[in-house]
Amino acid sequence: MFFFTIRRVLASVLVLVVSSFLVFALCAASFDPLAQYYSRNPRPPQEFFDQLRERFGLNDPFLVRYWNWLTGVLHGDFGVTVDGTPVADQLPGRLMVTGRMILAAIVIAVLLAVIVGVIGAVRQYKPSDYTFTFIAYILIALPTFWFAALLKEFVAGGINDLLGSQVLYTIGEETPGLSLYAGGWELWSDRLGHLVLPTVSLALLSFAAWSRFQRASMLDVLGSDYMRLARAKGLTYRRTVLKHGLRNALIPLTTVVALGIGTLFGGAVITETVFVWHGMGEYLLENGIGQQDVNVVLGWLLVSAVFVVLFNLVADILYAVLDPRIRLS
Amino acid sequence: MATTQATTGTAGGVQPAVPGTPQGSGGVEREFTVKARSQRQQIVRRFLHNKVGMTGLVIFVALLVFGFIGPLLDGKSYSDLDSSAQSVSPGNQGYLLGSDAIGRDLLAGLMSGVQRSLFIVALFIAIALPLGLLVGALAGYFGKWVDSVLMRLVDLILTVPLLVVLIVVASNFPGSRTPLGVGIILGLFGWLDLARIVRSQFLSLREKEYVEAAHSLGASNSRIIFKHLIPNALGSLIVWTTLAAANAIILEASLTYLGFGVNGTNETSLGRLVSDGVQAASTRPWLFYFPGIVLLVIVLSINLIGDGIRDAFDPSNRRVRA
Repeated sequence: MFFFTIRRVLASVLVLVVSSFLVFALCAASFDPLAQYYSRNPRPPQEFFDQLRERFGLNDPFLVRYWNWLTGVLHGDFGVTVDGTPVADQLPGRLMVTGRMILAAIVIAVLLAVIVGVIGAVRQYKPSDYTFTFIAYILIALPTFWFAALLKEFVAGGINDLLGSQVLYTIGEETPGLSLYAGGWELWSDRLGHLVLPTVSLALLSFAAWSRFQRASMLDVLGSDYMRLARAKGLTYRRTVLKHGLRNALIPLTTVVALGIGTLFGGAVITETVFVWHGMGEYLLENGIGQQDVNVVLGWLLVSAVFVVLFNLVADILYAVLDPRIRLS
Repeated sequence: MATTQATTGTAGGVQPAVPGTPQGSGGVEREFTVKARSQRQQIVRRFLHNKVGMTGLVIFVALLVFGFIGPLLDGKSYSDLDSSAQSVSPGNQGYLLGSDAIGRDLLAGLMSGVQRSLFIVALFIAIALPLGLLVGALAGYFGKWVDSVLMRLVDLILTVPLLVVLIVVASNFPGSRTPLGVGIILGLFGWLDLARIVRSQFLSLREKEYVEAAHSLGASNSRIIFKHLIPNALGSLIVWTTLAAANAIILEASLTYLGFGVNGTNETSLGRLVSDGVQAASTRPWLFYFPGIVLLVIVLSINLIGDGIRDAFDPSNRRVRA
């Protein structure tokens, strides 16, 4: 197990380096980070541009620039943006914001998917199964931002009216300035109120596909011989399904969930845009692509890729824990 | 082979209706006849009896009629701007589904959006299908270093979420804001999962006896790939195509929403209409609801067709007698 983990981590680091190189090449070849200054009025003098080009190493050969970035990252330095702020300073705070949303979404999506998948499999071809199937099909076919806007414009208002106070918020990750004077419960409930809608819209995306998957794998398990054996030995139906069936049916889901992390990171970019969260997605779109800044794009890429790699590793280990037949080494 | 099967069948006493057994071969009198059907006929029959798939197909055809024949009946064009009909609500001034802020007919917009989205999807499939098939086939058939190199390449691109790859590329490509550009970009990066599927199919198929037989009879690699392996992987190829097509429509919409997709007044797409509609959700809800619903219905119908085809290709599916 130990050597397996080490080998996997090393291979992943290699993949990270090469993919960052490709993204760097793509961005460096086409981005002009100084573009945002051209349209300033009055336009800065030519010396300003010359100095900036020199300062950011834009005159260096491409390979030198990449090498400088790479050695910088090894020292925890992710480079600076065009306006001079270090990328590394921005990442932790923004990751906390996005991470909140993604983690909550994963937990909700997995719980819902398992419950709905198991109910669908146990009651195959019954009305409840058809209902869940129908809902899943609809959710899979919905674009996130349309569904999110639906929640924002029409559902949030209704729920707030029903409860008689503003419980759900549609913009931002917390009420601006609240953390300056409030603390404890007030701050947490405010954050929770902001978290609900983005998380729900992000979670429902993955939930639909995962629940179909869980239903299929549960159906496989329900038809297997050891389930019949367990029943023949006198265990109750509920107990066989939950103790023997569910454990085995969860194994394939772990891989699917782990592979879905990348998609969730992508989806979070959209959800953040809809709900105006100041997280990783906003950083990528506004500061990275908007300002044509390679360092920001690469910072985003590294953080997201590390999570993808990490979750894949966790899935492999979980796999071995859940299924004793698998030996990793 | 066929004779041995037939003999064991008769030896058992009752002749079972084995699908595909040649009819009337031993001249034995039977109470019922067995009609020989080719594999393709069986699959088509299974699909035609599949309620989910047929529902999807009917809806999809209805949308095709809406998108391609509707404009001939409607008479309005999405490129017509009518300054006397700004933001007309549905049913007024002859605008069945209302109009937008510069007086364009939403119904005409939806029709041309369906057309444009299907064009993007067709372009995407035309690029991604051969690419994924080629990469997956080479990796799966030749194995060894070819497999390692190609699959590491796939892993590499998969480290970055597809949506973000598309954003980075679309923000760099001039001309990427047209349906043509979006279709090409989607196609260039949308084949990764297909390559994996084809590879795993080929890995198992190439170990089959008939491939070995073809080899020993002197068949070339390309003949084996095109005559034996691809036809046998056809089921998963078609299923991937439908599911990827549905996914491409959603990706196009998402890209457009983030500002990296289809842009322009006349060249609209469903994604463009939906993302414009989102901005008007609370003030002019018809611009929000209708495009979203059309998008939902088109993606849903393609997914249903895909599920129907998957069931039809599944040889263990005995719910429909083929």
